Amino acid sequence: MTDALDRTGRETETPSYDGAFDAIVVGAGLAGSAAAVTMADRGLEVLLVERGRYPGAKNVFGGVLYTPTIRELVDIDEAPLERYIAERRFGMLTDRDETAVSISPGEWHEPPHNDSYTVLRGEFDEWFAEQAVDAGATLLTETTVTGLVTEDGRVVGVETDRPDGTIRAPYVVLAEGGNSLVSEAADLKKPESPENVAVGVKEVLEFPEHENAIEERFRLTDEAGVSYHYFGEGAVGEAFGGGFIYTNEDTVSVGLAYRLSDAATTQPDPEGTLNAFKTHPKVAPLLRDARTVEYTAKTIPEGGAESIPELVHDGAVIVGDAAGLVLNNGVHLEGTNMAVESGYHAGKALAAAASGATPDDAALAQYREDLTDSFVVRNLERYEWLMETVQSDREFLFEELPRAVADAGSEYFQMDRAPKEEHASAARQRLLEAVGGYTGAAKLAFRYRKLI
Amino acid sequence: MSAQPKTPTIENDSLEDRLYTVKYEDPGESHLDVEIPDLCAEECVTYECISVCPANVWREGEDGVPQIAYENCLECSSCRFACPHGNVDWSYPETGAGVTYKNG
Repeated sequence: MTDALDRTGRETETPSYDGAFDAIVVGAGLAGSAAAVTMADRGLEVLLVERGRYPGAKNVFGGVLYTPTIRELVDIDEAPLERYIAERRFGMLTDRDETAVSISPGEWHEPPHNDSYTVLRGEFDEWFAEQAVDAGATLLTETTVTGLVTEDGRVVGVETDRPDGTIRAPYVVLAEGGNSLVSEAADLKKPESPENVAVGVKEVLEFPEHENAIEERFRLTDEAGVSYHYFGEGAVGEAFGGGFIYTNEDTVSVGLAYRLSDAATTQPDPEGTLNAFKTHPKVAPLLRDARTVEYTAKTIPEGGAESIPELVHDGAVIVGDAAGLVLNNGVHLEGTNMAVESGYHAGKALAAAASGATPDDAALAQYREDLTDSFVVRNLERYEWLMETVQSDREFLFEELPRAVADAGSEYFQMDRAPKEEHASAARQRLLEAVGGYTGAAKLAFRYRKLI
Repeated sequence: MSAQPKTPTIENDSLEDRLYTVKYEDPGESHLDVEIPDLCAEECVTYECISVCPANVWREGEDGVPQIAYENCLECSSCRFACPHGNVDWSYPETGAGVTYKNG
């Protein structure tokens, strides 16, 4: 193994990593570092392999980190958090209207702030991987895992793109993200269909000429921040998905994600769709005079519970995005918490296996069981029906309903000389028309009854 | 009343300017390719790769085989998932090359 960090050209003794570790983690994202911390804490020799220049260099996400498990694993007091989420807002957009619900409990201002913080992954992931190193793990960056080494059907190590790049270890954690080339090449999972993958584009914006733009426009004080979610045709056009704005400390993240099958057909050009969202009359005032700091893109595995691959293999486990652990139902957009949770359970199972207390098979299978019992799989299963239902109602939910609600709103508050009664009746009529009368409304309520 | 327009102008940078915001190290050779060029030329009329790419990496090429400007790639992998023929050859750029995000 060549010393990756030596760029001076000096002849240095190159350490041999082969067989030196109990476990190799492929990918130093949230799931990978959570697994590494968990195993290192339990005394395992862990190698954390990252293809980027530093952990986080290849990572993109919407923008909110959920921390209930992460703060059990490490002390997040010194973590590079941007702002805590003090307000969540859901806006339905037609081409020119917005109807929004805003939720801002006072409690969210108190620690631990509902465990919801904006972060920038380039900073946070590097910090989190450092916590794994502090716990005893070895971090190897700029090293790409190109394949798995298997013997008699058992994973016994990884191939990397370094000279003499084979590294053997009894256990491998596959935390390589949604673009799971290694897992797929080893036939541990199948490629996802474009119906189950979303394409996301995001910009980080700054306001060079308006020092207090973020505080003023989003009504913030101190470390408070917001998460704004948008759906409807004003957000992502014809597509199945939504847009978002999150406030960071000195920047704002704006982006959207929608189904890849829509990007391939009715709503091509993710960048153009982002431009249109940013220029929506109800979005543009929040973003005016901004300068782009960074433009990013990523795919998101959104297949839900049914898309989770076999998580446990002989000698290897799959965690995080690679395991399809993302919950996106429009109201809840989660993934970081699920990545950390899966890494934690995987790490625990592998540590038990390595200790030899239980046979390998049973110890690794514990990961699957723990994850199935955890909020991760339970939440995915709870909303499995929702995505299908929303998909079949998409035109109603994303186009007709936002329009009807906006119309009803302007009717209800119409200022003229007609009595309020007439406007209220007309507003009600407009809504009923959209939902298909009282029968339609009842059917709709029944269809979505499991939501609350 | 103020003279503010109803919708303030948003300056959307060109894609080229946006891509300049991202640090990129050329791996020297493309990490993207098509498996079987003839498949694109003869079987594909929809070019999902071009439609879904957020960075204009996939472009209309002569003979019906897309041109690949891999230098622009943000490594999102949309093209790989979108190609209905499974014809996108996608590998990670080696030893940390390719895109590096500062914020992410």
